[in-house]
Formats: sequence, C-alpha cells, structure tokens
Amino acid sequence: MTDQTNGTGPLAGLRLIDFGQYLAGPFGPMILADLGMDVIKVEPVTGDGMRMAGKPFFGCQRGKRDIALNAKTPAGHELALELVRRADAVHHNMTKGTAAKLGLDYEACKAAKPDIVYCNTYAYGLKGPLSHFGGLDPLYQAATGLEYEAGATQHGNDPLYYRFGMCDAANAMLSVVGVLAALLHHERTGEGQELWTSLLDGGAVFASDAMVKPDGTPVPRPRLDKATTGIDPGYRLYETQDGWVQVAAVKPDHWDALCTTLRVDPSIDRTTADAQLEMRFRTRTAVSWSYHLDDAGVPNEIVVDPKGGDLALFDADNDRLGLVADYEHPIMGAIRQFGSTIDFSETPFRPNRPPPRIGEDTKEILAWLGVGEARMTELKDEGVVTWPDESYAAAW
Amino acid sequence: MAGALDGIRILDLSWGIAGPLGVLLLAEQGADVIKVEPPGGDPFRMYDGYKVWTRSRRSVTCDLKSEAGVAAFRKLAATADVLVESFRPGVMDRLGVGYDSLGADLPRLVYCSVPAYPPGHRLAHRPGYDALVQASSGQQWEQPGWRPGPIFLHMPMPSMGSIFLVPSGVLAALISRERTGRGQHVSTSLLQGAFLYTTQIWQHIEKANAAFHELMGKSYPPGVHQGMIFECADHEFVHVSVMSGLAPKKTMDEILGVTPPPADQLEGLLPLQQQVLMNDRRRDAFKERKREELVDEFQANNIAVESVITMEEALTRPHPQLDANGMVVTVDDPDLGPLIQVGVPINLFGTPGEIRGPQPRVGEHNVEVWSEVGVDAGDVAAVAGGA
Repeated sequence: MTDQTNGTGPLAGLRLIDFGQYLAGPFGPMILADLGMDVIKVEPVTGDGMRMAGKPFFGCQRGKRDIALNAKTPAGHELALELVRRADAVHHNMTKGTAAKLGLDYEACKAAKPDIVYCNTYAYGLKGPLSHFGGLDPLYQAATGLEYEAGATQHGNDPLYYRFGMCDAANAMLSVVGVLAALLHHERTGEGQELWTSLLDGGAVFASDAMVKPDGTPVPRPRLDKATTGIDPGYRLYETQDGWVQVAAVKPDHWDALCTTLRVDPSIDRTTADAQLEMRFRTRTAVSWSYHLDDAGVPNEIVVDPKGGDLALFDADNDRLGLVADYEHPIMGAIRQFGSTIDFSETPFRPNRPPPRIGEDTKEILAWLGVGEARMTELKDEGVVTWPDESYAAAW
Repeated sequence: MAGALDGIRILDLSWGIAGPLGVLLLAEQGADVIKVEPPGGDPFRMYDGYKVWTRSRRSVTCDLKSEAGVAAFRKLAATADVLVESFRPGVMDRLGVGYDSLGADLPRLVYCSVPAYPPGHRLAHRPGYDALVQASSGQQWEQPGWRPGPIFLHMPMPSMGSIFLVPSGVLAALISRERTGRGQHVSTSLLQGAFLYTTQIWQHIEKANAAFHELMGKSYPPGVHQGMIFECADHEFVHVSVMSGLAPKKTMDEILGVTPPPADQLEGLLPLQQQVLMNDRRRDAFKERKREELVDEFQANNIAVESVITMEEALTRPHPQLDANGMVVTVDDPDLGPLIQVGVPINLFGTPGEIRGPQPRVGEHNVEVWSEVGVDAGDVAAVAGGA
C-alpha cells in the first residue's frame, strides 16, 4: 500500500479502444487505464462533446492516449478498424444503432478481430420501450427511487437530486466489471464476446435492497427523516455548537453509551429521542462531542466540509497513500483528482497521465499503425485526423 | 451455458454492503461463492435487504477464534481462487488468516480487503459504518439540500462505490494471475469508493477560473439538474432530462401550453425577473397535469422524462424498461417466500449471468463444504462453532 514504486498494473499488456464520449462511455475505460490497460481514446476531430463542460470531461479521461479521427470517412473508418485489430477490447456508449451506422458495431469489430471483447453502455438498455432514448443521470436517479428517498419525499419534501452523478459512474463501473469478466473468460478460453450495461440498471443496483412481495407489499427498508439527517436517532447527523457530528450507534450498547454521554435517559423511547439528543448536542462543539463519544465507544465522525474537494485532494494521508493523483496538463497546469481506487501488492500502478488534448497522440499512434509522415499530413489536410499544433487554441 | 467465472471459487468473509454486493456481481457471472460466517451468522443478516446482497452463494460457519476453525479454514482457502474480507486492517492478521500468512502458503490466492479506510490512514482504526465515511470523506457536506449543513445520503454512497471496486480488483488480479501464475493482495476501501463518485466535481485545476468552477459548483438551491424536477397534480413529481439524444417533435412549452420567449431571445440571457416568471409559468402548468399522461406525452414527443418514484414502485408496476432489461425478477426466499427484486445488471451474450439461488441460511452448507475439504463429520461442529 505504501510502496511508491510505480509498476505497470495488473492489466499491463492489454489494450482497449474507447470510442465513447461524455461520461458513461469514457469513465469505465479511465478506470481500466488506472489498472494498467493501454487505453486509446478515439475522439472526433471536433472533440468529445463533453470537453466544453470542463470538470466532468477531465474527470473521465486521465491515463489515455488519444487519436482524433473522423470515423465517418472511409480512411478514418479503416484506421479505426486497424486499431480494433490490435486491441483486446472495444468500449463505447453510442446510442442504439449508431455504432452500426459507423460500421463499428460488434459484427464489424468481430470481423476485424474475431476474439474481441465488445462493450456498449446504454442509457436505458439494449431492447425495450425506451431503449431508443439517450438520457442523463437524473432520469435514472428518478426512476430507481434514489431522488425520492434522498429528499425524504414521503414527508412532503421535494425529491432531491444527488449531485454526484453516480448513475453514469455506475453504468461505467458495471461495464468495467463486465469487460474484466469477459477478458478473464478470454484468457481462459480464447473466446471473445459482446456485452452491455445501462444507466438505468446502474441506478437499480444502488437501490437493490428494495424488495416487494407478490401482492405489492414492500419489504420495509430504512427511510430518511424529514430533516434529511438520518434514518434513526442512533444513526443520523446532529448539529453541535459549531458543526455537525454523524453518529452510528448501531449496537444496543452503543445506544446506551450515546444516551449516557449526552445525559439522556437510555430507557427513553427511541422513536422520540431526537428532540432531547438534538438539544444536548447543541451545547458543545463538534470536537468536544466527538472525543466524549470516542471515550464512550460510540462510533462517530465529525462532518468534514471538503471545500469543493480541495481538503481531500491536499490531505497528507490521502496524498501519501496514493488516493490523490496529480499531473501537469499542457493548458490547465497542475491538476489534482482522486487517485488509485484499488491497490495491488504485486502489480502496483498509480495514475500519472493527464487527460489528453484532442488528438494528443495522433501522430504517435498513426506511426505505430504504419502511416508515414507525408500521409499523416494528407490525412490531416483532408480532415480525417487532427493533432494539437500552433493553432490549437484554448480547446481542452 | 457456463458463466464467465465458471470454476472460480470465492470465499466471502465480508459483512455490510461493499463486500457482499461486490461479490454478488461475481457470483452471478458464474463464480462459486461460499459465504464464511462467524458462528451464529453475519450480524448484518438482521436487515432484510441483505437477502438480495447475499444471494447466489452457499453459506458455512467457521469459528476462526478456535484452532480447529482456523485449520479447517486454511484447508478451504487452499481450494479457493479468491478471498474477500472487510474487517478493519489487522483483524484478519490477528485471527491468523491475514494475507501475509495465507498468501505465503497459497501463492495463487487473490486476497481482497475492503475496510473503511486504507491501512496507514489516520482513520484506519476508527469504526467504518457507511455514514461515518460519508461524514469523514466530505460527501455529506458536498450534497446540498433544503437547509444549510450536511445532508445524510440515504443511498450509502461510499459502500456503493466499493461494490464496483471489489469485483474490478478481484478480476484484474485474476487476469494478471493467468499471465504470471501469481495471486496478490488487492486493497480498496470505502473511502476510495466515496472518491469514485467525486470524479465530476472534485478536481483542483491550477488555471481554472470562476466560470469553470461554477458549472459544477455546489449551490443553494441545488444546481441545474435539481431545477428540472417538476411537481405535477396530486403532489407527484417528474424529472425532465435536458437532453434525450432525439429530436423533439414538440417542445416542452408546446406540450405544457406555455408561451416561450420570442425565438430571437435566448432565455438564459433574459432579465432575471423574466426568467423566474417563465419558470413559474412552467411549474404552474406542470401542476395542472396528471403525471402519467404527461410522461406519456413527453416521451411520445421524444422528450426524456421519468416519474420520481420509489424503487419499490419501480419493481411493482414494473418500470417497463427495467422489466425489458430483465432487472425485475422473483426469488423464492426460504423465510419470506417469493420476493420481487432486482436481477443481474451485467449482460454478457457469450456467457450469460444468472441468479444462483436465494440468500442461504446460516451454515446451510456446513456439512457439504467442510466434508469436501476433509473435515471429519464428527469435527464439523467444532469447526462451525455454536449456533
């Protein structure tokens, strides 16, 4: 864990071609690049549609090499297939039918590379009444109950959107697990295959503790209080004199210790204990209560204001343990973002490559495909490919 | 047809969400998962939702505080490809089954740890229930709500990040093992799970400006997507997407009967008062409409919209696309009977996944599994511990 050696990662030697744009496409390949995979982002010459959004773009692109090409041109299409021929996996989030129109669907890729692993991440799904729609994360936070529960809507509040956009990420992460399962199967049998995941199903995974009896009776699960502080007087946020404390009194002795520390009678009816505990918590600082609760063995944590993330990104422990990645971008300067999400004792690797500019590695990749300098310039003049040059303005 | 992970055996010693649900994603792609529980069972079993997160596996109990238990466990581990555990750093070592000890004997073993905080972190010794990591990571403060201060995240977000990191790490290590012949220690944590979902909002960029920050910055009231939630008749809500990938046949204003600003004026550039007025008119128009009719009409006109419902409603109605995705299934639980729940969310055509059975009862497979690894019938009770 504390080994700073940067090896090559567990997936070294495997290559993925990433035809995706926006979030649910590119985020999965970014995580695969974090695991040591050689990820080549194939970007339209006009740029990934997410570039203008800034952070959401940067957040999904580190660790990749980038070739900008127009796959709608015959020469661009042939280059795209040439990349597929040299890859183990293909990944994208094009809407239904788009890849077929581009000649980059599973059949076309399989013809180029018979044992390819091919993954399409959808908004809604492969088939079905809404599968022709694209769509954004909020739809799936709505459809799978996340917003309803987040806002405690049952108490008369409005639903609340989680600003983490995590249905996109869930779709991407399901695709990571799926691609890895398919790659393992390929290692063991030599067989490739096609797979898909969706934002909608990603949202459903987040609410997968929901169950309903055949007569429609829901099996109860915890619900939020009206003030959106928690799910039980023993498992909620309390406001103190100067900040907030999260309490997790999950065991019976935790509850007794919580009450005793707060000088509330432990035999109080738990369903009506909130008001007394709230009043007591307001009499001291968060730090003071946290020490007292620690002494009494009550699980608790002071709620951190992350200052837009900077507190976590410049935290000494996070930094030392590799939980922060930092790299230099040619236009934006130093960038910090979360770092390793998984550590490997024998195949360590830390993300260390900034998000690419449009066509950052076009020339290097074309040379690798056997395209000579003169032909590269022709292809650029014809609008088939591009790379950053003097005229590359503030385009990220 | 065999699953992609056919023949891969996983010992799941984890409790809570990250380990069990992470392992579920592997179990339902064909892995042979054995849940190894303490005598009396995993304490999280008291929660009904756990029935989903721990389905598709067998269960044994093992008293890891006894010599017989540890010895039998080591025999079982020798038959496994993967071990997953979620205890605080150091706990498995104290039981004599930490990576240093087990990995030395079993060099091909992939050993995955998912505590709340990584070893060496100043919080590593502290309790790691999900909401505590929501607090310490800053996620609760990052989420705006209807009052100042932190918001409790009903969706256990740190854990729900780790559920993907556990199977990703395990699979990456198994792929590596195919090439090197060697297993390894795979480590992640709830804290890293929490960071996973900060990807669009937490970045420090040296040359960013205020506009760059504002696009994704936290705001009161909550930002752009929140503003697209509308209340319909009967206090029911919809969430409209700002894009659908399709060309709308009618605009939202046309469907609502709201007069839009003149075509040559960008709404975002109108005086603020006029923008508020437009927004109020739309909100009033939504309230006049029955939700189900409105959703049908929006979708028929290529405007992406969803009703804001509970997950239980999504399973009961069921949501037509969730159903089409095979995500609404019934699993027969030995205690509660048939239960409608979510299906398998990863779709591999060559090696389709499947649900492999309900949550097992505590120690349901004690005899079968312990005798398979050579524990004498008379010794099973000592290994499995008291009920």
